[in-house]
Amino acid sequence: MIRIAAVGDVHLDWDLVGRFRPALEHLPNHADVLLLAGDLTRHGTVSEARSVAAEFGGLQVPVVTVLGNHDYHCDEVPELIAVLEEAGITVLEGASTVVECPGGRLGIAGVKGFGGGFAGRSASEFGEPEMKDFIRTTQAAADRLGTELRELDCDLRIALTHYAPVPDTLAGEPLEIYPFLGSYLLGQAIDSAPTALAIHGHAHKGTERGTTPGGVRVRNVAHPVIKQAYSVFHLPNHH
Amino acid sequence: MIENDPAETRELDEYLEAAVHRLLAEEADLAEQGIDLTRHKNTLILSGEVESDQRREEMIRRVREEFPDVRLLVDIGVTRVQEPTQAEELA
Repeated sequence: MIRIAAVGDVHLDWDLVGRFRPALEHLPNHADVLLLAGDLTRHGTVSEARSVAAEFGGLQVPVVTVLGNHDYHCDEVPELIAVLEEAGITVLEGASTVVECPGGRLGIAGVKGFGGGFAGRSASEFGEPEMKDFIRTTQAAADRLGTELRELDCDLRIALTHYAPVPDTLAGEPLEIYPFLGSYLLGQAIDSAPTALAIHGHAHKGTERGTTPGGVRVRNVAHPVIKQAYSVFHLPNHH
Repeated sequence: MIENDPAETRELDEYLEAAVHRLLAEEADLAEQGIDLTRHKNTLILSGEVESDQRREEMIRRVREEFPDVRLLVDIGVTRVQEPTQAEELA
Protein backbone atom coordinates (compact mmCIF):
# COMPACT_ATOMS: atom_id res chain seq x y z
CA MET A 1 0.00 0.00 0.00
CA ILE A 2 1.11 3.55 -0.74
CA ARG A 3 -0.11 6.37 1.50
CA ILE A 4 -0.63 9.81 -0.01
CA ALA A 5 -1.37 13.06 1.81
CA ALA A 6 -2.64 16.00 -0.21
CA VAL A 7 -3.90 19.56 0.19
CA GLY A 8 -4.21 22.53 -2.16
CA ASP A 9 -4.98 26.24 -2.02
CA VAL A 10 -3.26 26.93 1.29
CA HIS A 11 -2.57 30.55 0.18
CA LEU A 12 0.26 31.04 2.63
CA ASP A 13 1.91 34.24 3.72
CA TRP A 14 3.87 34.96 6.89
CA ASP A 15 0.65 35.57 8.85
CA LEU A 16 -0.17 31.84 8.55
CA VAL A 17 3.21 30.27 9.23
CA GLY A 18 2.96 27.65 11.97
CA ARG A 19 -0.73 27.05 11.39
CA PHE A 20 -0.30 23.73 9.56
CA ARG A 21 2.72 22.70 11.56
CA PRO A 22 1.03 20.71 14.38
CA ALA A 23 -0.67 18.44 11.81
CA LEU A 24 2.50 18.26 9.69
CA GLU A 25 4.57 17.07 12.66
CA HIS A 26 2.64 13.79 12.54
CA LEU A 27 2.71 13.46 8.75
CA PRO A 28 5.04 10.42 8.68
CA ASN A 29 2.44 8.53 10.75
CA HIS A 30 -0.11 9.10 8.00
CA ALA A 31 1.64 9.25 4.64
CA ASP A 32 4.68 8.42 2.49
CA VAL A 33 4.45 11.63 0.46
CA LEU A 34 2.70 15.02 0.61
CA LEU A 35 1.23 16.48 -2.57
CA LEU A 36 0.39 20.19 -2.80
CA ALA A 37 -2.16 21.02 -5.50
CA GLY A 38 -1.12 24.62 -6.24
CA ASP A 39 -2.07 28.07 -4.96
CA LEU A 40 0.58 27.80 -2.31
CA THR A 41 0.74 31.59 -2.01
CA ARG A 42 -1.71 34.47 -1.90
CA HIS A 43 -0.38 36.33 -4.94
CA GLY A 44 2.89 34.74 -5.95
CA THR A 45 5.66 36.80 -4.32
CA VAL A 46 9.09 35.49 -3.34
CA SER A 47 8.39 36.49 0.26
CA GLU A 48 5.24 34.36 0.27
CA ALA A 49 7.21 31.48 -1.28
CA ARG A 50 9.62 31.74 1.66
CA SER A 51 6.68 31.37 4.03
CA VAL A 52 5.68 28.21 2.12
CA ALA A 53 9.24 26.92 2.44
CA ALA A 54 9.12 27.61 6.19
CA GLU A 55 5.83 25.76 6.60
CA PHE A 56 6.20 22.84 4.17
CA GLY A 57 10.00 22.52 3.93
CA GLY A 58 12.07 20.15 6.05
CA LEU A 59 9.28 17.63 6.56
CA GLN A 60 10.11 13.98 7.09
CA VAL A 61 8.33 12.89 3.90
CA PRO A 62 8.95 14.11 0.32
CA VAL A 63 6.82 17.10 -0.73
CA VAL A 64 5.78 17.44 -4.39
CA THR A 65 3.83 20.39 -5.73
CA VAL A 66 2.40 22.11 -8.78
CA LEU A 67 1.78 25.85 -8.87
CA GLY A 68 -1.64 27.49 -9.13
CA ASN A 69 -2.98 30.65 -10.74
CA HIS A 70 -2.36 32.70 -7.57
CA ASP A 71 1.32 31.70 -7.68
CA TYR A 72 1.58 33.34 -11.12
CA HIS A 73 0.04 36.71 -10.22
CA CYS A 74 3.25 38.70 -9.55
CA ASP A 75 5.22 37.22 -12.47
CA GLU A 76 7.90 35.86 -10.14
CA VAL A 77 7.47 32.19 -11.03
CA PRO A 78 11.15 31.24 -11.61
CA GLU A 79 12.21 32.92 -8.35
CA LEU A 80 9.32 31.30 -6.52
CA ILE A 81 10.25 27.83 -7.83
CA ALA A 82 13.87 28.41 -6.79
CA VAL A 83 12.82 29.20 -3.21
CA LEU A 84 10.62 26.10 -3.02
CA GLU A 85 13.23 23.78 -4.51
CA GLU A 86 15.89 25.13 -2.18
CA ALA A 87 13.60 24.03 0.67
CA GLY A 88 13.53 20.51 -0.81
CA ILE A 89 10.05 20.80 -2.35
CA THR A 90 9.81 19.25 -5.83
CA VAL A 91 7.94 21.57 -8.22
CA LEU A 92 6.36 19.92 -11.26
CA GLU A 93 5.26 21.90 -14.33
CA GLY A 94 4.84 19.52 -17.22
CA ALA A 95 7.22 17.14 -15.51
CA SER A 96 7.19 14.03 -13.36
CA THR A 97 9.04 12.45 -10.48
CA VAL A 98 9.22 9.01 -8.89
CA VAL A 99 9.13 8.67 -5.11
CA GLU A 100 10.38 5.45 -3.54
CA CYS A 101 7.79 4.47 -0.95
CA PRO A 102 7.81 1.40 1.31
CA GLY A 103 4.82 0.10 -0.67
CA GLY A 104 6.32 0.68 -4.12
CA ARG A 105 7.49 3.29 -6.60
CA LEU A 106 5.04 6.16 -6.85
CA GLY A 107 5.12 8.17 -10.07
CA ILE A 108 3.69 11.68 -10.00
CA ALA A 109 3.09 13.70 -13.16
CA GLY A 110 2.24 17.33 -12.49
CA VAL A 111 1.05 20.37 -14.37
CA LYS A 112 -0.84 23.47 -13.31
CA GLY A 113 -3.30 23.03 -16.17
CA PHE A 114 -5.73 25.74 -17.25
CA GLY A 115 -9.39 26.37 -18.00
CA GLY A 116 -11.57 25.96 -21.06
CA GLY A 117 -14.55 24.01 -19.80
CA PHE A 118 -15.91 20.54 -20.17
CA ALA A 119 -17.03 18.30 -23.01
CA GLY A 120 -19.78 19.83 -25.13
CA ARG A 121 -19.44 23.17 -23.35
CA SER A 122 -15.78 23.89 -23.94
CA ALA A 123 -14.00 26.84 -25.51
CA SER A 124 -12.64 26.12 -28.99
CA GLU A 125 -9.38 26.98 -30.70
CA PHE A 126 -11.12 29.38 -33.05
CA GLY A 127 -11.52 33.10 -33.65
CA GLU A 128 -9.52 35.82 -31.96
CA PRO A 129 -5.87 35.20 -31.12
CA GLU A 130 -6.67 35.60 -27.41
CA MET A 131 -9.28 32.84 -27.64
CA LYS A 132 -6.95 30.55 -29.52
CA ASP A 133 -4.16 31.23 -27.03
CA PHE A 134 -6.49 30.36 -24.19
CA ILE A 135 -7.38 26.89 -25.40
CA ARG A 136 -3.91 26.21 -26.84
CA THR A 137 -2.47 26.85 -23.37
CA THR A 138 -4.78 24.22 -21.93
CA GLN A 139 -4.12 21.79 -24.77
CA ALA A 140 -0.35 22.13 -24.37
CA ALA A 141 -0.60 21.52 -20.61
CA ALA A 142 -2.84 18.49 -21.15
CA ASP A 143 -0.55 17.07 -23.85
CA ARG A 144 2.41 17.42 -21.52
CA LEU A 145 0.53 15.78 -18.65
CA GLY A 146 -0.51 12.84 -20.86
CA THR A 147 3.03 12.31 -22.13
CA GLU A 148 4.51 12.42 -18.63
CA LEU A 149 1.91 9.97 -17.29
CA ARG A 150 2.43 7.50 -20.14
CA GLU A 151 6.21 7.61 -19.90
CA LEU A 152 6.46 7.16 -16.12
CA ASP A 153 8.28 4.00 -15.05
CA CYS A 154 6.74 3.18 -11.67
CA ASP A 155 4.30 0.93 -9.80
CA LEU A 156 1.55 3.51 -9.35
CA ARG A 157 0.74 6.72 -11.27
CA ILE A 158 -0.79 9.89 -9.90
CA ALA A 159 -1.78 13.02 -11.82
CA LEU A 160 -1.35 16.26 -9.87
CA THR A 161 -2.94 19.45 -11.24
CA HIS A 162 -4.29 22.73 -9.92
CA TYR A 163 -7.18 23.03 -12.38
CA ALA A 164 -9.90 20.38 -12.40
CA PRO A 165 -9.94 17.55 -14.96
CA VAL A 166 -13.65 16.74 -14.48
CA PRO A 167 -16.78 18.72 -13.61
CA ASP A 168 -17.83 16.26 -10.86
CA THR A 169 -15.57 17.84 -8.24
CA LEU A 170 -16.84 21.35 -9.08
CA ALA A 171 -20.35 20.67 -7.78
CA GLY A 172 -21.14 23.62 -5.52
CA GLU A 173 -19.44 26.18 -7.75
CA PRO A 174 -21.58 28.39 -10.00
CA LEU A 175 -22.04 26.66 -13.38
CA GLU A 176 -21.14 29.93 -15.12
CA ILE A 177 -17.52 29.75 -13.94
CA TYR A 178 -16.82 26.10 -14.78
CA PRO A 179 -14.77 27.11 -17.86
CA PHE A 180 -12.41 29.01 -15.53
CA LEU A 181 -12.04 26.06 -13.18
CA GLY A 182 -10.82 23.30 -15.44
CA SER A 183 -10.89 21.44 -18.71
CA TYR A 184 -11.92 18.03 -20.01
CA LEU A 185 -8.58 17.99 -21.89
CA LEU A 186 -6.84 17.32 -18.57
CA GLY A 187 -9.21 14.41 -17.93
CA GLN A 188 -8.54 13.02 -21.38
CA ALA A 189 -4.79 13.15 -20.68
CA ILE A 190 -5.28 11.37 -17.35
CA ASP A 191 -7.31 8.67 -19.10
CA SER A 192 -4.56 8.13 -21.69
CA ALA A 193 -2.45 6.29 -19.09
CA PRO A 194 -3.24 3.74 -16.37
CA THR A 195 -3.54 6.50 -13.77
CA ALA A 196 -4.50 5.40 -10.26
CA LEU A 197 -5.64 8.78 -8.87
CA ALA A 198 -5.97 12.41 -9.98
CA ILE A 199 -5.53 15.16 -7.41
CA HIS A 200 -6.48 18.82 -7.99
CA GLY A 201 -7.42 22.01 -6.15
CA HIS A 202 -8.64 25.46 -7.31
CA ALA A 203 -12.37 24.96 -6.75
CA HIS A 204 -12.90 26.21 -3.18
CA LYS A 205 -16.63 25.61 -3.25
CA GLY A 206 -16.50 22.28 -5.07
CA THR A 207 -16.77 18.78 -3.68
CA GLU A 208 -14.22 16.11 -2.86
CA ARG A 209 -14.97 13.19 -5.13
CA GLY A 210 -15.32 12.55 -8.84
CA THR A 211 -14.33 10.14 -11.60
CA THR A 212 -12.99 10.63 -15.12
CA PRO A 213 -14.91 9.07 -18.04
CA GLY A 214 -12.15 6.42 -18.05
CA GLY A 215 -12.82 5.51 -14.41
CA VAL A 216 -9.91 7.27 -12.70
CA ARG A 217 -10.77 8.56 -9.24
CA VAL A 218 -10.49 12.34 -8.93
CA ARG A 219 -10.13 14.17 -5.63
CA ASN A 220 -10.47 17.93 -5.08
CA VAL A 221 -8.19 18.69 -2.13
CA ALA A 222 -8.67 22.48 -2.01
CA HIS A 223 -8.25 23.38 1.65
CA PRO A 224 -11.75 24.93 2.05
CA VAL A 225 -13.20 21.71 0.57
CA ILE A 226 -11.40 19.17 2.75
CA LYS A 227 -11.56 21.38 5.88
CA GLN A 228 -8.51 19.74 7.48
CA ALA A 229 -4.73 20.15 7.19
CA TYR A 230 -4.52 17.46 4.50
CA SER A 231 -6.44 14.44 3.27
CA VAL A 232 -4.92 10.95 3.23
CA PHE A 233 -5.48 8.33 0.54
CA HIS A 234 -4.40 4.69 0.72
CA LEU A 235 -3.73 3.02 -2.63
CA PRO A 236 -2.82 -0.62 -3.28
CA ASN A 237 0.32 -0.73 -5.43
CA HIS A 238 -1.01 -3.30 -7.90
CA HIS A 239 -3.23 -0.94 -9.88
CA MET B 1 -22.85 39.64 12.18
CA ILE B 2 -23.49 43.18 10.96
CA GLU B 3 -20.13 44.77 10.17
CA ASN B 4 -21.31 48.04 8.75
CA ASP B 5 -24.64 49.76 9.37
CA PRO B 6 -24.64 53.22 7.76
CA ALA B 7 -27.54 55.61 8.42
CA GLU B 8 -28.15 55.97 4.71
CA THR B 9 -27.61 52.95 2.53
CA ARG B 10 -27.25 52.76 -1.23
CA GLU B 11 -29.28 50.53 -3.46
CA LEU B 12 -27.59 47.21 -4.10
CA ASP B 13 -27.46 46.15 -7.72
CA GLU B 14 -25.44 43.83 -9.95
CA TYR B 15 -22.79 46.47 -10.62
CA LEU B 16 -22.19 47.01 -6.92
CA GLU B 17 -21.95 43.26 -6.37
CA ALA B 18 -19.48 42.92 -9.26
CA ALA B 19 -17.38 45.82 -7.93
CA VAL B 20 -17.10 44.22 -4.48
CA HIS B 21 -16.30 40.87 -6.05
CA ARG B 22 -13.49 42.39 -8.11
CA LEU B 23 -12.09 44.24 -5.10
CA LEU B 24 -11.85 40.98 -3.16
CA ALA B 25 -10.28 39.06 -6.04
CA GLU B 26 -8.00 41.66 -7.60
CA GLU B 27 -6.56 43.59 -4.67
CA ALA B 28 -3.31 41.70 -4.20
CA ASP B 29 -3.35 41.88 -0.39
CA LEU B 30 -6.80 40.29 -0.36
CA ALA B 31 -6.75 37.94 -3.40
CA GLU B 32 -9.90 36.20 -2.18
CA GLN B 33 -11.75 34.48 -5.01
CA GLY B 34 -13.89 32.15 -2.94
CA ILE B 35 -16.21 34.60 -1.16
CA ASP B 36 -19.93 34.48 -1.95
CA LEU B 37 -21.88 37.73 -2.19
CA THR B 38 -25.63 37.77 -1.70
CA ARG B 39 -27.87 40.85 -1.97
CA HIS B 40 -30.75 40.70 0.49
CA LYS B 41 -32.94 43.85 0.62
CA ASN B 42 -30.51 46.62 1.62
CA THR B 43 -27.86 44.26 2.99
CA LEU B 44 -24.87 42.73 1.26
CA ILE B 45 -24.00 39.35 2.80
CA LEU B 46 -20.43 38.08 2.53
CA SER B 47 -20.02 34.36 3.18
CA GLY B 48 -17.40 31.67 2.73
CA GLU B 49 -14.07 30.79 4.30
CA VAL B 50 -10.66 32.41 4.59
CA GLU B 51 -7.36 31.24 6.09
CA SER B 52 -7.22 33.51 9.16
CA ASP B 53 -9.17 35.94 11.34
CA GLN B 54 -6.73 38.65 10.31
CA ARG B 55 -7.54 38.14 6.60
CA ARG B 56 -11.25 38.29 7.34
CA GLU B 57 -10.81 41.55 9.28
CA GLU B 58 -8.70 43.08 6.52
CA MET B 59 -11.29 42.11 3.91
CA ILE B 60 -14.09 43.73 5.92
CA ARG B 61 -12.00 46.85 6.50
CA ARG B 62 -11.33 47.28 2.78
CA VAL B 63 -14.95 46.71 1.75
CA ARG B 64 -16.14 49.24 4.35
CA GLU B 65 -13.53 51.72 3.18
CA GLU B 66 -14.45 51.41 -0.51
CA PHE B 67 -18.21 51.08 -0.01
CA PRO B 68 -19.03 53.07 3.16
CA ASP B 69 -22.73 53.34 2.32
CA VAL B 70 -23.30 49.58 2.03
CA ARG B 71 -24.90 47.70 4.93
CA LEU B 72 -22.70 44.61 5.41
CA LEU B 73 -23.44 41.30 7.05
CA VAL B 74 -20.40 39.03 7.29
CA ASP B 75 -20.63 35.28 7.76
CA ILE B 76 -17.10 34.16 6.99
CA GLY B 77 -15.36 31.33 8.80
CA VAL B 78 -11.71 30.31 9.07
CA THR B 79 -10.80 27.01 7.42
CA ARG B 80 -9.80 24.40 9.98
CA VAL B 81 -6.32 22.84 9.97
CA GLN B 82 -6.66 19.83 12.24
CA GLU B 83 -4.85 16.55 11.60
CA PRO B 84 -6.99 14.07 9.62
CA THR B 85 -8.57 11.29 11.66
CA GLN B 86 -9.35 8.97 8.75
CA ALA B 87 -7.75 7.91 5.49
CA GLU B 88 -9.74 7.11 2.37
CA GLU B 89 -9.09 3.54 1.19
CA LEU B 90 -8.98 3.48 -2.61
CA ALA B 91 -8.97 -0.19 -3.49
